[in-house]
Amino acid sequence: MRSNDKITGLVTVTFGVLVITNSRGLANLPQQDYGAGTFPIVIGGLLIAFGGLLTLRGLSSSAPLMVWVNDVPIKRFYLTLLAIIAAIVAYILLVPVVGFPIVSTVLLSLLLYGFYRQNWMLAAGTAVASTAVIWVVFGRLLQVPLELGILEKVVY
Amino acid sequence: MDSFLAATTLVFTWDVMLIVISASVFGLFMGAIPGLTATMATALLVPVTFFMEPLPAIAAIVSATAMAIVAGDLPGALLRMPGTPASAVYTDEAYLMGKQGKIGVALGLNIVCSMLGGIIGVVCLAMLAPLIADFAIKFTSDEYFWLALLGLSCAILVSGGDRLKGVISMLAGLAISMVGMDSVSGQARFTMGSYDLLAGISILPVLIGLFAISELIRRMPESHNLQQEVQTRVKKPFAGVGGLLWKYKFGVARGGVLGTLIGALPGAGADIASWISYAIARKFSRSPEKFGTGHPEGLISASSANNASLSGAYIPALVFGIPGDAITAIIIGVLMTKGITPGPDVFVSEAPLVNAILLVFIIANLLLLPLGFLAIKGARHILSIPSGVLFPLILIFCMVGAFAANNTMFDVWIMLAFGLLGYVMAENDFPVGPLILAVILGPIIESNFMRSIIKANGDLTAFVDRPIAITLAVAAALIWGMIVANGIASSRTKSRLSFN
Repeated sequence: MRSNDKITGLVTVTFGVLVITNSRGLANLPQQDYGAGTFPIVIGGLLIAFGGLLTLRGLSSSAPLMVWVNDVPIKRFYLTLLAIIAAIVAYILLVPVVGFPIVSTVLLSLLLYGFYRQNWMLAAGTAVASTAVIWVVFGRLLQVPLELGILEKVVY
Repeated sequence: MDSFLAATTLVFTWDVMLIVISASVFGLFMGAIPGLTATMATALLVPVTFFMEPLPAIAAIVSATAMAIVAGDLPGALLRMPGTPASAVYTDEAYLMGKQGKIGVALGLNIVCSMLGGIIGVVCLAMLAPLIADFAIKFTSDEYFWLALLGLSCAILVSGGDRLKGVISMLAGLAISMVGMDSVSGQARFTMGSYDLLAGISILPVLIGLFAISELIRRMPESHNLQQEVQTRVKKPFAGVGGLLWKYKFGVARGGVLGTLIGALPGAGADIASWISYAIARKFSRSPEKFGTGHPEGLISASSANNASLSGAYIPALVFGIPGDAITAIIIGVLMTKGITPGPDVFVSEAPLVNAILLVFIIANLLLLPLGFLAIKGARHILSIPSGVLFPLILIFCMVGAFAANNTMFDVWIMLAFGLLGYVMAENDFPVGPLILAVILGPIIESNFMRSIIKANGDLTAFVDRPIAITLAVAAALIWGMIVANGIASSRTKSRLSFN
C-alpha cells in the first residue's frame, strides 16, 4: 500500500512532536545546559522540519492518498499479512503456556498447508521434522530456554 | 610474524573450519533463493553466533555473506531473477550469455571474479586498516563524534533514492536509539513505564524484523507462484573462463579496488559497488555498445566489486568501531558481547584476532570455487524448493532467533513491530539502511557529544578546535549541503512532474 507524501509527512511530524513532548521533562546535567533531553529534542525538531517538507511536497502532488501498486490481489495480501501477524502473536502468547514443540508444530502445519496447498500429512510431517531440528539446534546445542510447556510433565 | 602464527593456530582448528563450511552452505542456500539476501542470512545467523567464540562467530558471518552474494548470481543467470540486489546489475548479461549457449562461462566468471574480488578486498583491508588505525589512535571523543556523524551523513548520500526520505529514515533510527536508560545521566527515556525497554531496543530483533519479516510480508502473498523450474543444464562451468579473465584483467582489478573503497563508505553495500563498477566498466570499455547483450566485460567488473565491498566494509568497522553496513554492524555487536571493542587499539591488543579475521576472509573466498562449482551443479534442486515451504520455516526460525538473543518474548514483539515498519518503509520508498545505521551509531554520536561537552564545560567551539576535528566537521557540513541541495532539486522535479 503506497501512501501520498502528505500522509507519511504528517506521520513524521506527529512522531517529532511526540519525541519532543516526551523529552521536555528530562533534566540537564548539573551545571550544564545539556542533558538527556538534548538529543531527543534536536531529533524531534528535525523530524518536524523534514516531515513538514515532505507534507508540502505531498500537497503539491496529485497522487492519490492511498494506492495499491502490487501485482498480487489486495485480498490475498491482507490474508497473508493477517496469517503472519496471527502466527507471531500466537507464538508469543501460547509458547509460555503450551510449550514450543506443540505450538511450533501446529503453526508450521497450518502455514505449510495454507501456503503450499499440498496434503495435510505432508504439511504435518514437515512441521514435526522442522520443529525437531530447531529444538535440537536451539534448545539442546545452543541452550536457548525453549519452553516445553505441557510436555514438561510428559518428558520429566 | 608471531601474531600471524598465532592467527593460523586460531583459524586452522576443526571447529572453525567446520563452521566456515557450514556457514558457506547456509549462505549458498540463502543467496540462491530469490528474495533472500545476504543481510537476511546474517540476521538469521546471529542468534547462533551469539553462542560462539569471537572468531568462529565472525568466520560464520564472513563465509555466509561471501557465499550468499555469489549464490545470488545463480537464479540471475538461470532464471533472469537476481538472488540478491548485488547481482541485479548484471543479471541480464549473464542470462543472455546463457541464451547464447555460454551459461557455464557466465557462472564460472561470476564465481572466479567474486573470489578474485574478495581476495583483492582482503589485501586492501590488510594494507589500509593498520595505516588508518595508526592515524586514528590520536582521535578523541570530538573526532569520534564528527566521524560517526559523517558516517550517518554518507549513508544518506549513498543509499540512493529519495534523500528527504533518507534523512527522515535516519532521524527515526536516531529516535529509536534513544529509547532506554541514558548512559550519562541514567534517566529513562521513552520507556513508557516498560521494564523491558529500560535496556533499550535490542538490535537483533530490529534486524530480523526489518530484513526478514518485512521481506516475508512482501514475498509470502505471491509464494504460490514462486516455484521455479530450471530448464538450462550447465555444462563445463569453468571452460573458457581463464582466457576472458586475462583479457579483462584490469576490469577485475578495478572492480576489486573500487568495490573495497565503496564498501568502506557507511551505507554503501555490495549492490551500490556492483552498480558503480558496472557503469565505470561500460564508460571505459572499447565496446560499450555490447553491454546488455550478453557481454562478459561488465559482469566481470561488477562480480569482482560486489564481493570486494564486503571486505571494504570492515575497514571503518575494525578501525573506528563504526559499521559500514548492516552486516558489519552485527559483527561489531557480536565482538562487543564478547568483550572486544573494535577501534584502533584492537590492532595492537587483539593483533592475532585481527590477522585471524583476515585469514578467514581468504579461506572463505577460496572456498567460493569448490562450493560455487557444487552450487552450479545443484542449482536446479535449490531453485526448485517451493517458497510455500521455505517461507513458513523462515518465519518460525525468525521467531526463535529473535527470542534467543535475550531469551525474552518482548523481543519477538519488537521483531513484529519492525517487520511491519520495514514493510511500510519499503512500500513508500524510505531506505532502511540509514535507519539501521542510525540505531547503531546514535548512542556513539550522543555519548561522544556528551563526553566532549562535559570536558569543554559546555563550550561548543571545543568541537572544532583540533585540526582533524575541524576537517571532519567541514566534510560533514559539505555532505549535508549536498543532501539539502539534492533534496531541494528532487522536490522541484517531483512537483514539476506532478503538475504536468
